[in-house]
Amino acid sequence: MATIAYEPKRPNIATANVQLPAVRDYEQVDDEITASLRPTKAWFAALLLAMSCLAIGISAWMYQINQGLGVAGYNPPVMWGVYIITFVFWVGIGHAGTLISAILYLFRAGFRTTIYRAAEAMTVFAVMTAGLFPIIHIGRPWKFFWLIPYPNWRLLWPQFKSPLIWDVFAISTYLTISTTFLFVGLIPDIAVLRDREKNPTRRAILAFLSFGWRNTEREWRHFARAYLFLAAVSTPLVLSVHSVVSFDFAMALTPGWHTTIFPPYFVAGAIFSGIGMVFTIIIPIRKWFNLKHYVTLNHLDAAAKLCLFTSMVVGCAYMVEFFIAWYGGVAAEQDYFWNRVFGQWWWAAWIMLTCNMILPLSLFSQKLRRNPTWLWMLSITINIGMWFERFVIVVPSLSHEFEPWQWTTYAPTWVDYSILLGSFGWFFMWFLLFIKQLPVIALAEVKEIVPPRLKRAHAHTPDTADDFEPETPGAH
Amino acid sequence: MRGVLGHFKELDSAVDAITELKHKRLGDVTVFTPTPRHEFEAAVQPPTSPVRRYMLVGGLSGCIFGYWMAIWASNYWPLVVGGKAISTWIPYTVFGFEVFVLVGALSTVAGLFIHARIPRLTMTVGYDPRFSRGDYGIWVECTPEQFASAEALLKKHGAVEVRGER
Repeated sequence: MATIAYEPKRPNIATANVQLPAVRDYEQVDDEITASLRPTKAWFAALLLAMSCLAIGISAWMYQINQGLGVAGYNPPVMWGVYIITFVFWVGIGHAGTLISAILYLFRAGFRTTIYRAAEAMTVFAVMTAGLFPIIHIGRPWKFFWLIPYPNWRLLWPQFKSPLIWDVFAISTYLTISTTFLFVGLIPDIAVLRDREKNPTRRAILAFLSFGWRNTEREWRHFARAYLFLAAVSTPLVLSVHSVVSFDFAMALTPGWHTTIFPPYFVAGAIFSGIGMVFTIIIPIRKWFNLKHYVTLNHLDAAAKLCLFTSMVVGCAYMVEFFIAWYGGVAAEQDYFWNRVFGQWWWAAWIMLTCNMILPLSLFSQKLRRNPTWLWMLSITINIGMWFERFVIVVPSLSHEFEPWQWTTYAPTWVDYSILLGSFGWFFMWFLLFIKQLPVIALAEVKEIVPPRLKRAHAHTPDTADDFEPETPGAH
Repeated sequence: MRGVLGHFKELDSAVDAITELKHKRLGDVTVFTPTPRHEFEAAVQPPTSPVRRYMLVGGLSGCIFGYWMAIWASNYWPLVVGGKAISTWIPYTVFGFEVFVLVGALSTVAGLFIHARIPRLTMTVGYDPRFSRGDYGIWVECTPEQFASAEALLKKHGAVEVRGER
């Protein structure tokens, strides 16, 4: 009888460029990753903090509902403020998840394997958070259904030529597909939890959620195909969503907004901010749950290179905006950009430029790319910088349009800041609840990169290594 | 369903057993594996998954629906904006694309469910929780007369546990 060649002719998808030398077998994967599901004091403390922030945000929103939108910092004609800025910010955060899970999957980028689950969950919760802001922004949230574009008898005809309606379709499609993508990927892992669970109630819930998944070759075959096609359609979706969000601005004639560079500029910025948030989340997780040998320095190094690349794309877009204003010769545009960088809004513009364009250049240093503390601190500055990028896009344009008599200023109030803080509380509350119920690292995909147990010796079985964070970049 | 379940610790043992089972045509083989492996695909030689067709049909239907929805609503509630035609295909491409992705992706998931035969109400015979953890399983659906030869074959290839189920 002919024997099968155990080295597959084409690699398993997740195996390219990544190995986990300190992970010996499948059982270790299950034991160590599911150990992160046990609640700890630090987790309860973090949840309490998140819920406190959320409570502050809810209180401020209730106050705004009671008093009216006047308590927010709107100052005509600046009628888009912190709520729209924060909406765009959270939509942007939501981009890295599908980028990492779909686009990097298609490109066979192995470093995605251990971080994509956290990034996908982050996407879903970020888009959920973003979805709240148009409702908060309208001031009368009980009439939010007026935003839904369906034919009705209120003389609010659905206007399909409006970018705002495009946005409704783009964001809701993105939320649906991201949630589907996350859940489909979770099914085999929920089956693992079901088979380990001793509590009958939890076991019944997990059995229901796993849809009776049995790990048959047949199930895996269709699963892999479906996952591939979901990744294939999610890829253009990622690019389209923030393009459509950018149309909200670019379709207007307002100085600073009416430019064709906005779609790629927004997409690159969204991916950049999303990767920043992935670092913010994944670095504490790998430390607190002892998962450093899963999310290794090699993974962080590779993700940091992607962060550097997107930072440079964003930096290039900033420069091109200035160039277009200068070369286009439109006085209003030139005046606006001067006011943005050296005038009224210089402080916001320089926070943006420093955090998004200058500080990430440190990632050219291999040593800093492999320093989790530096990456985490940098990710915080990226989050701040990307919020300010949206501030710089929204506020300076509206406060400095064509007519000088319209020029004004804008200052957010405590209500704006409280609701912004509440959005972080809302986001982290969901994320913390997620990581205590479901595996934050994909069990089945990690098992794909762990060498299987063999009767005959595996040609490429690595030695079990304790130094899974080698000083030598690229080791293992 | 009656058959024999073999429980393997090693991947190559399970693959060898499948290859010989297929060669001897002892019965339908179902493989349980904690993670997808191309080695099993090579041994079982299954047909290509038809899930891609769901994507195609769902996506095209969604695209058509997206354009139709925008055009129909615009014509039914006509409102001239910016001197443009009532129905203009360029802005409506956004709806064509978004609904293409939405329906296409949901159809793909439906295809996965249909062909992977999930949701499944019971685990049926031939499943063991160890197969989601790290071990491999081979379920051979055969008649009681074939039990002995199937068991012998599975044991020969290194099954650590073999049991008949009915």
